[in-house]
Amino acid sequence: MSGTKMARGHFRRRLVASTAATALIAAGVLVGTASGASAKPVSGGTLYFITNAQQFDNVDPARVYTGRDIAFFNSYLYRNLVSYKPVKGAAGSSLVADLATNTGVPSNSAKVWKFTLRPGVAWEDGKAVTCADVKYGVSRPFAADVITNGPQYLVDALAIPKLADGSSAYKGPYKKTGQELFDKAVTCTGTTVTFKLNRSFADFNYALTYPAGAPVPAAKDKGDKYDLRPFSDGPYKIAAYKIGDEMHLVRNTKWSQKSDTVRTPYPDDIVVRFGLDENVRDQIMLDDSIPNTVNLDGLQPANLRTFFADPKRESQRLNVIDPYIRYQAANVSAGHLDCLDVRKAIFFAWNTQALIDLAGGTVFYGVPGDSPVKSVLGLDYAPTKGNIHDPAYKIAGNPDEAKKYLAAAKTSCPATYARVTDPTKGFTEDLPKTASQQKASVLIQAAMKAAGMTVNFNFIPSGVYYATLGDTTKQNDLSRAGWAADWANASTVIPPLFSTPSSNNYTQNTNDPAFAAFKAKSDAANAMTDRKAQAKAWQELSQYAMDQYWILNPIFGKGQEEWGSQVGGVYFWDPQGTFGFGQLYVKG
Amino acid sequence: MLKYLVRRLSATLLVITLVSMSVFIIFAYLPMDPARLTCGKACTPPIIEANRHRLGLDVPVQIQYGRFVKGLFVGREYGEGAAKFECPAPAFGYSFNKHECVATLIASAFPVTFSLAIGAFILWLLLGVSLGVLAAKRQGKWQDKASTVFVLVGISLPTFISGILILLLALKFNLINPIEMGRWVSPFTNPLGWAWNFIFPWITLALAFAATYTRFTRSNVIETSSEDYIRTARAKGLSEKVILRKHTLRAALAPIVTIAGLDFAGLLGGAIITENIFNLPGLGRLSIRAVLIDYDLPVILTTTLLAATFVVVMNLIVDILYAYIDPRVRVA
Amino acid sequence: MTSPFLEVKNLTVSFPTEDGLVRASNDISFTVARGETLAVVGESGSGKSVTSLAVMGLHNRRSAQISGEAILHLESGDVDTISAPEDVVRKLRGKSMAMIFQDPMSALHPYYTVGDQISEAWGLYNEGSKKDGIKRAIEMLELVGIPEAAKRVNEFPHQFSGGMRQRVMIGMALVNNPSLLIADEPTTALDVTVQSQILQLLRDMQKEFNMAVILITHDLGVVAEVADRVCVMYAGKIVEQAQIDDIYYVPDHPYTIGLLNSIPRVDQLDGRRLLAIPGQPPSLISLPTGCAFRARCSLSHLVPNNLCATKVPDLDEKLTGHFSRCHLTEAQLSKARTAPGDAL
Repeated sequence: MSGTKMARGHFRRRLVASTAATALIAAGVLVGTASGASAKPVSGGTLYFITNAQQFDNVDPARVYTGRDIAFFNSYLYRNLVSYKPVKGAAGSSLVADLATNTGVPSNSAKVWKFTLRPGVAWEDGKAVTCADVKYGVSRPFAADVITNGPQYLVDALAIPKLADGSSAYKGPYKKTGQELFDKAVTCTGTTVTFKLNRSFADFNYALTYPAGAPVPAAKDKGDKYDLRPFSDGPYKIAAYKIGDEMHLVRNTKWSQKSDTVRTPYPDDIVVRFGLDENVRDQIMLDDSIPNTVNLDGLQPANLRTFFADPKRESQRLNVIDPYIRYQAANVSAGHLDCLDVRKAIFFAWNTQALIDLAGGTVFYGVPGDSPVKSVLGLDYAPTKGNIHDPAYKIAGNPDEAKKYLAAAKTSCPATYARVTDPTKGFTEDLPKTASQQKASVLIQAAMKAAGMTVNFNFIPSGVYYATLGDTTKQNDLSRAGWAADWANASTVIPPLFSTPSSNNYTQNTNDPAFAAFKAKSDAANAMTDRKAQAKAWQELSQYAMDQYWILNPIFGKGQEEWGSQVGGVYFWDPQGTFGFGQLYVKG
Repeated sequence: MLKYLVRRLSATLLVITLVSMSVFIIFAYLPMDPARLTCGKACTPPIIEANRHRLGLDVPVQIQYGRFVKGLFVGREYGEGAAKFECPAPAFGYSFNKHECVATLIASAFPVTFSLAIGAFILWLLLGVSLGVLAAKRQGKWQDKASTVFVLVGISLPTFISGILILLLALKFNLINPIEMGRWVSPFTNPLGWAWNFIFPWITLALAFAATYTRFTRSNVIETSSEDYIRTARAKGLSEKVILRKHTLRAALAPIVTIAGLDFAGLLGGAIITENIFNLPGLGRLSIRAVLIDYDLPVILTTTLLAATFVVVMNLIVDILYAYIDPRVRVA
Repeated sequence: MTSPFLEVKNLTVSFPTEDGLVRASNDISFTVARGETLAVVGESGSGKSVTSLAVMGLHNRRSAQISGEAILHLESGDVDTISAPEDVVRKLRGKSMAMIFQDPMSALHPYYTVGDQISEAWGLYNEGSKKDGIKRAIEMLELVGIPEAAKRVNEFPHQFSGGMRQRVMIGMALVNNPSLLIADEPTTALDVTVQSQILQLLRDMQKEFNMAVILITHDLGVVAEVADRVCVMYAGKIVEQAQIDDIYYVPDHPYTIGLLNSIPRVDQLDGRRLLAIPGQPPSLISLPTGCAFRARCSLSHLVPNNLCATKVPDLDEKLTGHFSRCHLTEAQLSKARTAPGDAL
């Protein structure tokens, strides 16, 4: 949603691995409690969702890319070949067969994947969902001229040649350029669809939890406008979707419970109201004035504290470790922060405590992190050495330690040293132009000054923050950024952030002497089918990225959710990092 | 008169053209790239290029402008192959963010903004003028002092505060359902529902605007009351009521036509804050979100043009109207 | 002399201000009969307009303190416009007494056609349609000498010349056949050539309607053409009152003499300089003790015992029907009359 986009920037996908959730509970990090789902769910009624945003960023299954939207539409409108199990806790991150009869059968070192469709699944017009629909749905992300946004895993992994500019030789179902290449990579035999991949992809079925792999009936595809009215094979269909007003879902009478082991649709109507003023939205939650409402946004800080301090609302809220990390990407290209000692100096001088306090404290905002891979990712996360575990590290900053590294930088990289310590020059950090970041900049400035460094700020309008940074020539020395794994594998963290020159790699580390070795190891890890060996590789790469101080002072974030007193069946769906929408009901 | 109209209309057209060109040029030189905005995490150079092409930003700005102007008259086609579709004339462009032709978006947003503007306009005129007249007639009395307080509050209280206050009060007394608030109801099918939907936004805007009109009316009535022709009217034996209604107000309110017309035109372009607070899907909300969140050039361009057009056209109407009201400025 | 139509007795109008009470007109008494023209002459600020507005009841009763009487002898009985209720006085305005003003541009409403404005006045006291009102307006415009009246009735004041506007004003004032017309400096804002036409019109109209006319002016020259009697006012008081000829031939107050000497006269083009009265009129808030004109009077030294500075002179009937407010004897005055300027 646009509001989410603005507030959360580049965070795209939320996911917590099955093993990760176990780790979470063991570590006692799950600070919120879900309302008891012990009461028997009730059918009927209208379930409301409220948001300040004007619209969903995307509704088209091929374009949906935020965890919340994926979970929402996956629960109500469209079915993937496989889905995450819609349950609370660790089991929620396991895959279950949805449209398919199994979670996929890999062969040829996981370079070929087969799925067989379940019988009796129908579109909202009563027609059966066919293998051709799946194939057509999978072909759509290739149409870069129409399907913007959305995950690129299928485009990257399917065995279709790439052109010189890195794009696929297949241009999607609208232009049909290279259609024969696609037809070879994705084939239908009866109700069985076969995907041929260009590499070993052990967790390819996880990539298919994205609706980008969901079927689309070619006859209903309206190109760009499909984003307004996707065709449903789920338990609900869109009765109305008016941007800036509402989305109204009603029961899809052609859907049958028999064909679906995943969804339990309770409400008769689901209404998403867009555009509520933030104060109105918060007031609805604080007063419980519309008790059959779920808040899709976060509350404003003061209201959040009030809501979470109110004992009456105890069963209407969640405070959990969310899938996001927030960090400072150091631009290590020549002429920027190309000096490890300077990066270390900044790291040690950083007043993380003050910044966390400013943003809501450790209760609501997050805790200092030690890796680009978040602890909730389980298998792929291991505490790193050094950085926040360094004896000299202080959460409120250690200017003396920072000065030691500056002193070292004086000889190791005199030019960079001279620049960052020169009060008339200094280094520059990119920040989104928001009130809270402007306040944060004052704290950052003070912390740097205490260590004898000077920092300037380049405030970029928040709506275009990442779009601006995506052009690396516009990037300064340090850039605030955030990330979440696409699924429970650091293959969706390490490669995009560090080992490709992609628009998400704000470290610009391609000229770093260590880059070639790092990339080789990362590419190898990506192709591994031995999950444990792969996890070890990601841990080592995380350690390396931290040792190089490519990212500084990451925060492992927390998230809060609120809902009205009449909403039942609420739980935190770990892999999606949001509600398990499909089980929500309106209490009688 | 015809000659005058033709001259004024062509000047109006020129202004609108210049405004549209300026918006294009400003956008061309913005330090960010709209082509990067829609793909987010998926942005790779080929995707960005595909996006740029899709948005029509891969050609020089003058060609973009040419396409825009052409689209106004003959409509415009987007996409290629099976994904091709058309926005019929007058095509202001296509919002890839909202997946609609901009003309469609405007057509759905304008009735909201117009409803908001017209109701608030009537309300603030009634309120502002009657308070102003009362204050003038009771100069120095408590009514006058009360109106001074009203003016001070009205002028110093921004709508983003008064609007929230009014809204929270209305919520507190259960006068509106916060979740249904702002939903468009047609005045033709449900006039009461329509009015109820707008009553609090009307009050919010009216309070903000009425203050100026109170002050303005008060001083104008006082000034006009001392005019010689008012003394003449009195010498004729007219009653105070007739003098006020027919002689004083006619002259005192004539200048209000100008500011009222321009204020109204300004509102037609969208009342950003009020629309946002009361969740009204009007032009103001459409444009501000297009600017701040979506960088939706076709929407921004059209709403800007529309706002400019309202102002210039209203200027013309006001001038013509003023000539009708004040025979001294009537054109020969 | 016929019995007066308007009788003003001891009329005093003051305005409280932050600086003190402004005594704009002080103890004024005069009469005017139908068919008679009374000229009220004086410098600006002498109280002539204030007096006439008080008669018309046009002062804001909240901001003006008014005492005395202004009695209209109507067929239906006497009405004192000072003490009568506001509503009663209003219904006399335009019908029994009418007024025209100095600047006919600003005195006509710029937004209404002259026809509308005249017909509005007519409609106030006559039953009839708007059309009748316009018809009547055309008649009035013709009567006051506006050519093509039927066409011009639909025009706006700014489309008329100054003189024509004043004709419109006169037509509007007379539309209800009033018994009293107060003309407040009706020619001051007009070109000299137009002035006498308007005065001629006023005279004609007076005959036509047999009105009592009060002509307020600062110009004694104007007075000569039309007035039957003259009141000369100075600093809120009447200083001299007499038949028109007496004023011209035997002015009985140094101020009147001064005024007369400042008029260019065709019969005295013998090289004598025009003599302006030196000095300024006194402040109406703090009037000097004694005679208000004393400071500008070139003869006051002739009065013994410094009387001019200590005692306010009374308005005495020094000659028959000729009142004057001066301590000087008749002999001293006649000397001054004959040898103006170098007299004393």
